[in-house]
Amino acid sequence: MRRSLSVVRGAALLAAAIVCGGGVAFAQATQKPGQAPQMNMANMDHRGALSGRVRDGAGTGQAEVTVQVVSQENGAMFSATTDAQGNYAFGALPVSKYEVSVTRNGLTAYRKRDVDVAMDGKAQLDITLDAAAAAAAADFERQDLLAKISTLEQRITDLESSAVLSEPETRTRRVTVFLDANGNEHDEQVPGSKPVVTYRRERTYRRQTINEKIEAALEDAAKHSVTVGVDAAMATQFAGRTKGDLDANRRAYALASADLFFTAGIAQNTVFFADIVGLSGAPPDAEIPSLTLLNGYTARLVRQNELNLREAWLRTELFGQKLSLTAGRLDLTNYFDHNALSNDESTQFISDALVNNQVLGLDVNGTGVAAELDPKNGIKVKFGLQQNNNDATNLGDSLFTLSEVGYTFTPFALPEGNYRLWFRTDNTDPLGTRKAVGVSLDQKLSPAFGVFGRWGRSESEGGHDRYYSAGVGISKGFIFNPEDTWGVGYAQTELFSGQQEKLVEGYYNFSLTEKLRLSFTLTGVVDRPETAATTGKFGYLLPGIRFQAAF
Amino acid sequence: MFTCKRFILGSSVLVIALVALAVGLQAQGVKIADPTSVVMIVNRDSNDLAFMDIKSHAIVGRVFLGNNVNPHMVMMSPDGRYVVTGGTRANKAFIVDVKTLQLVKTIPVDIAPEHLAFSPDSRWYYQGNPEGDSISVIDMQSLSKIKTIPGFAEPLNVTFLPDGSKAYVGNYGAHWVGVVDVRRHELVKKIPIAEVPGVSKLDPEKYLGEIHGINIAMPSPDGKYLYAADGTLGIVGVIDPREDKVIKHIRVGKDPWRIYMGHDGKYAITPNNGDQTISIIDLKTNTVAATLEAGPNMTGVNFAAGKAFVISSTSGFVYVYNMSSLKPAGRIKMGTNIQLETATTDTKDEKMYLAESTNHEVLIIDGKTEQVEHVKNVGLFPWGTHIMDSKDNYCH
Repeated sequence: MRRSLSVVRGAALLAAAIVCGGGVAFAQATQKPGQAPQMNMANMDHRGALSGRVRDGAGTGQAEVTVQVVSQENGAMFSATTDAQGNYAFGALPVSKYEVSVTRNGLTAYRKRDVDVAMDGKAQLDITLDAAAAAAAADFERQDLLAKISTLEQRITDLESSAVLSEPETRTRRVTVFLDANGNEHDEQVPGSKPVVTYRRERTYRRQTINEKIEAALEDAAKHSVTVGVDAAMATQFAGRTKGDLDANRRAYALASADLFFTAGIAQNTVFFADIVGLSGAPPDAEIPSLTLLNGYTARLVRQNELNLREAWLRTELFGQKLSLTAGRLDLTNYFDHNALSNDESTQFISDALVNNQVLGLDVNGTGVAAELDPKNGIKVKFGLQQNNNDATNLGDSLFTLSEVGYTFTPFALPEGNYRLWFRTDNTDPLGTRKAVGVSLDQKLSPAFGVFGRWGRSESEGGHDRYYSAGVGISKGFIFNPEDTWGVGYAQTELFSGQQEKLVEGYYNFSLTEKLRLSFTLTGVVDRPETAATTGKFGYLLPGIRFQAAF
Repeated sequence: MFTCKRFILGSSVLVIALVALAVGLQAQGVKIADPTSVVMIVNRDSNDLAFMDIKSHAIVGRVFLGNNVNPHMVMMSPDGRYVVTGGTRANKAFIVDVKTLQLVKTIPVDIAPEHLAFSPDSRWYYQGNPEGDSISVIDMQSLSKIKTIPGFAEPLNVTFLPDGSKAYVGNYGAHWVGVVDVRRHELVKKIPIAEVPGVSKLDPEKYLGEIHGINIAMPSPDGKYLYAADGTLGIVGVIDPREDKVIKHIRVGKDPWRIYMGHDGKYAITPNNGDQTISIIDLKTNTVAATLEAGPNMTGVNFAAGKAFVISSTSGFVYVYNMSSLKPAGRIKMGTNIQLETATTDTKDEKMYLAESTNHEVLIIDGKTEQVEHVKNVGLFPWGTHIMDSKDNYCH
């Protein structure tokens, strides 16, 4: 019995509380005449009060008159309404000088500035709504209005100089519509209709400032123009013989290279790219018969002091930009075995043994196709074919194919690593197709420190050629400037014929500006030209300096 | 029997009271009874705020702010009472009553107001004015501007400490975070995120040209630290708010836009527009756990269903990452020739509401299935969305 009674009481209390709660919430939005604005005193800074009485010319108190005060310092606005005797009160105003005004029938009947509300003070201001006060207020209002007009004029001038006002634009959109059996077009699908893609002009409302308009126009113009890039480098190397009796000793070598890149967007998700390169100078490879190139730029050297077309291709992206196809004159090694820490002779290692896997076996650039499937889930699948001989008489001659599967992930709570497995065939040799297989990995062990490795095995006449390399790359740590990088690597190449090369290199790449780089390299190499002979063995130490400008 | 009668009587009183309350609320013009039930959409070119019901996806209310206002960011006060926005072209702050959807106050602020924040107790509304280099302080009790705090350099975002004692201001036009004493509303300290490298003298174009400083100082989910990414320097600085100093530098990719906190407190992400990557930061060790490929012009990161969704505004793609394995997990094509803006995530971490300005729509992405629903005609040029208590409330 007691329990049921308490349930009833509880329900009633709850209902009452809800009803009262709703009432209170509603009351907060309104202010009773004569009451000061409701404020939470607990959270309030020191404040002061202002009160007084509003009378007419005859001295009679005026009820239901709204008195408004505005802080002259920050524009904070408060209002109170007079009670039946004409009294008003602001219980807690922030300390400030205030402008006090009374408006009746849409006209300002009274206005007074510089009413001081001091901390914990109680200011008193009695207001008389007579003709003199109305005239003074009207004059004040006039001056105020003139000031506002002046501000507005300035604002309009500012707007006109910086804004494009609500001009609707037209834009052509690609839309899907539905054609019924009679050939009539519908926006929505109807029975028996089929979807058809068409283009339709629509009005759009996109207000832009003049600056935004200019930026959009420039961006649009850039899309339709050819962009040119330049990558110029000067690589100087000194060679000191450490072993053997070759003539080359204490000599300096330099190779200057300039690449001109042209890129143009020619269709949706389709670009054209061309790379024209000019080289001049003498690399150490001209005098030192090492198994691999000691200056990676030498691979580009076709004819001294002449411009050569290295690459010219079209690239398009299909199936939601998951599949990209590139066709034209290619350097297929740009698309495969893309090791993050040792794949660029211009900013990383300069020796070709630490730029490319030496058993890839692609000698020249040529006509070809490369396809890359990248669903952006960490797995990449690539396939490419290219002619490996510029003098080939048909497309089937000297055909070089490369397939690669790559995977990006974060193993064992380490940062990201890239792992690749590739397979290639080459039918350049008239004795048959040569196959090769290789792996390539780069794995960050910390945000600053990464390791890389490559391994490859290729069929050759009577046996196999082998290659491997390993090293470390450092960035974002143990460096002089934020964008600097450095690394140390080792590469070993062994041919079935008995030739062998061991190469070690370290580099430090200063990033001077976004467009300028200066690198120091130190390469040590030991070559054994034949299996049995030890007399032909030679070794060199090659310090180098490389200056690169890319823009 | 008697007990039963009393119970029925009591229940009847309760039902009648509730009905009366509902009728009363309707009579008062209540349009949104539950502030957590709507997605707010800020429409830049139709100059309004739209309110979309989370369940039905219907637009249940719209507040027109005035001509040539260009509202930028919308936010609800933590007490659910008001919705506010800064009108970038009007140089005014707009305060809307949530229940009635009435525009209750328009307050002149400084030049080009954009991003804003509320103090945790809903008392103070800090409006950042990037072109005025100031913060306008609005008292939400008197609904008036009480102060303008000067001295910033393109203040983009404001964040308050959980106890409301201090606010931190990201300055995109400089390399420091401003500390504001909320009691006095004064800028009391500048925390440089990192030293500009000496080599900067060789590259005046980069360092003296357009500066990409600090977008936001973002509190970690446990509130113990703040993380501020500096675009030009490519660094995230970890700030200890007890001493207001940087305790760790984390080097990320090029030109990080800002940092976004994962909901589980383990990781944060910087989208790096300079090299089109994202850096995933381990918040326990304060190191980069992974740097993964992403897309161009990234404007935001949302977290849902154990994944991160990175918005690439101009490519039309949202890139997806598995936050357990820290691996790329595909990308969602939202459309062709469209402009994606920013998104908010619901409080269940299930769905994201992405503003798409070209077709004036909101795209609802299911975090688990990655299915996309289009809600058309939400207003002209929807610029951002907001859900009360969402962990992913942000703007550009």
